[in-house]
Amino acid sequence: MATTEKKSTKKAVDIRGMIVKKYQEKLLLEGKDPTSVFAFCKELDIDEGDFYAHFNDFKQVAAAFWMELFHTNIAALESSAEWEEFKTREKLLSFYFSFFEQLKSSRSYAMLILDHKKFNLKKGSSDFSELKEAYKNWLTKILNEGRGREEIASRSKFNDVYDDLFWYQFLFLLDFWRKDKTIGFESTDEAVEKSVNFSFDLIEKNALDSAFEFGKFIFQNR
Amino acid sequence: MKEQDKIYSSRSQRTGKFISTGAKIGRNYLKHYSKKLISGEDNQEDLQEKNAEDVYDALSNLKGSALKVAQMLSMDQGLLPQAYTNKFAQAQYSAPPLSYPLVVKTFTTHFKKAPSEIFDTFSRNSVAAASIGQVHKATIGDKNLAIKIQYPGVANSIQSDLKMVRPVVGAMFNISQTEINHYLSEVEERLLEETDYLLELKRSRKITEACSHIEGLYCPKYYEEYSSPKVLTMDWLEGFHLDQFMELNPSQEVRNKVGQVMWDFYDFQIHSLMEVHADPHPGNFLFREDGSVGVIDFGCVKELQEDFYRKYFQIMKPAITDNDEEFSSLLYQLQFLLKSDKTNEVSHFKGIYKEVLELLGRPFFSEEFDFADKSYFEKIYSMSDLFKNDKMVKNANAGRGPKDAIYLNRTYFGLYSMLHSLGSKVQTNSAVDKLFLEKV
Repeated sequence: MATTEKKSTKKAVDIRGMIVKKYQEKLLLEGKDPTSVFAFCKELDIDEGDFYAHFNDFKQVAAAFWMELFHTNIAALESSAEWEEFKTREKLLSFYFSFFEQLKSSRSYAMLILDHKKFNLKKGSSDFSELKEAYKNWLTKILNEGRGREEIASRSKFNDVYDDLFWYQFLFLLDFWRKDKTIGFESTDEAVEKSVNFSFDLIEKNALDSAFEFGKFIFQNR
Repeated sequence: MKEQDKIYSSRSQRTGKFISTGAKIGRNYLKHYSKKLISGEDNQEDLQEKNAEDVYDALSNLKGSALKVAQMLSMDQGLLPQAYTNKFAQAQYSAPPLSYPLVVKTFTTHFKKAPSEIFDTFSRNSVAAASIGQVHKATIGDKNLAIKIQYPGVANSIQSDLKMVRPVVGAMFNISQTEINHYLSEVEERLLEETDYLLELKRSRKITEACSHIEGLYCPKYYEEYSSPKVLTMDWLEGFHLDQFMELNPSQEVRNKVGQVMWDFYDFQIHSLMEVHADPHPGNFLFREDGSVGVIDFGCVKELQEDFYRKYFQIMKPAITDNDEEFSSLLYQLQFLLKSDKTNEVSHFKGIYKEVLELLGRPFFSEEFDFADKSYFEKIYSMSDLFKNDKMVKNANAGRGPKDAIYLNRTYFGLYSMLHSLGSKVQTNSAVDKLFLEKV
C-alpha cells in the first residue's frame, strides 16, 4: 500500500512539473496562452481533471514558475554550511545572487514574461502575486531575526513598510537584469551589491537611532 | 576594513566627482595666488600638497581603471611632484571591499564550488585591496594562500573610464590632449591585459622561473586549478610593505641588500629577459628583515622590442652628446624631436633632453649609486617643474617620445623612487658593458 501511495505522489509531482514546463514551452513558441485548458490537456495527453487537481487556470501555472524558482533557491541557500552565520545583509545578497544565477537558465521565458506581460516597476507582473507574498514573508522573517541579533534597528511603525520597500528593490533588480547587456550580467551583480548595501546602511543601527535615543532621553529627563 | 558607503558607479556620477575635484583644485590655486599677493610668499609645496589631497580624495572613491590611472600618474616620468607621489602610493591600500556573497558567487560561477568547499579556511572579509580586485586569505592544510578576486565589470568599464578621465586629467595635471591620447592608448592596452588573471598567472610563472637564480628574491607559487580569468590563487607571502618595513628601522646593510635585490631583479628582466614587471610601486613588494624581497603582483608586464630597447639605452650613453649628428638622429628616431619642429625649438629641446638624459642615466654608469642622495631626486623633481614651466614645451602641444617608453620610464621612475625611500646604496653597473661599451 505504502509503495503505491508513494508512486502516486511521484506521479502527481510529475504532472505538475509537466504542466508548468509545457506551458512555458507553448508560451515561448506561440507567444500567447493556450486557447483552452481542454486543448492544452489534449496536447499533453492528460485528463482535464489532472490539470484541475493542481491549478485552476493558466494564471496559476504561470505563477508556479516563479514560486518554484523561489523555493528551490531558498532551499539551496538554507542548506549551505555558512547560512546560519550570515548577517541579514549577506543573506539577502546571497538570495539575489543565486536567484539571478538560476534565472539565467530560463532567461528567454523570464524575458518573455517581463516584456510580454507588461511588467512594470510599480506593480510587477500578474504572475508575481504568489511570489510577492512568499518573498515578503521570507524577508520579514530574516529581518526579524536580524532585529533579534540587534543588527537591524527597530523603528516602530516603519518596520511595517520594510517588506514593501524591499519588494520594490526586487522588482527594480529584475528590471535591471532584464535590460542588462553585459557579459555574465556583471552589471546586475553590481546593482545587487550596491542597492542591498544602500538599503542596509539605512535600516541597520546607525547614527540616526542614537540621535533619536539621545533626544528621547533628554526630553524625558528635563 | 569598513565598507565604503558610496561607490561612484555610473559614468556621469564619476565624471561629476572629477569635475568637482577640478573645481577644488582651481580654488586651491586661487587661494595660493591670493595668499602670494598678500604675503609675497610663494609656497609651491604647500599648494601641491593641497592639490594632491583633493585629487586623492576624488580618486580613492573610484575603483577599477580610474584608480589605476591615479597610480600611473603618480609615477609617470617624474611629471608629478613628490607631494602627489606620496599621496597616490596610498591609493593601493584603500578601495571598498566586495561583499562575501558576491565572492561566493564568483567562485561558484568559475569553479562550481563555494570557497568554503575548496579551502579549509577562507577569510570572509578581504585582507587587502588590489588595484582592480581584492585579496582574501585562505588555508589548505598548513599552506597559506592569497586569493585575488576581481571586481565585477572592470573590463567593461575600462574604456569608458579612460574616456572620462581624459579631459579632466589633462586639465588637472596640465598635460595637452595630444599627449594624453598618446599616453592613454598604451595604458588602455596594458589595463585590458591586467583584467585577465590567467594571463597574469602565465606571465608570473615565466618571469618567476627565469629569475629564480637571483638571490634574495622570492615569488609565490601559483595554483592554476583555483584560478580563472577573475580569480588568482597563489602562496601567501610574509613580509612588510615598504612603509612598515622602514618603521622597523632596518640597518644600512639590510637596506642596501634589499635595494640590490630590487636592482638585480629589474636589470635581469630588462636586459636579459626583455620583459619587465612594469608596476614597481610599493604595494607590489614585500620586504623582510633578512634583506630578501617578495614580488606579489605581475598584472602589468611590458615586453620590450629589440629595436626600441637599443635606441632607448643608446641615447643614454655618456658621450653621446659629443657626437651631435648621432644624438640628433636618435632623438628624431625616438620621436623626442619631430620633423615639424622649428630650428630654434630643436636646439632648445636638445638642450633639455641632454640634461634629462644625463640625469636619468647617471646610475647606469656609476659603479655604485647612492639612492639616498636627496639632491639627485630634487634635481629630478625640479626637472619636471622645468618641463611644466617651459613655455616652448607647453606650446609645442604634441606628445613626444616613443609610446613604448611610457612603461619603461614608469618602471625606472618607480624603481628609483622605491630605492630612494629605502635609502639603498646599490651596485648599478652590471649591465654597463652590454649597454655602453658594445659597438651598436
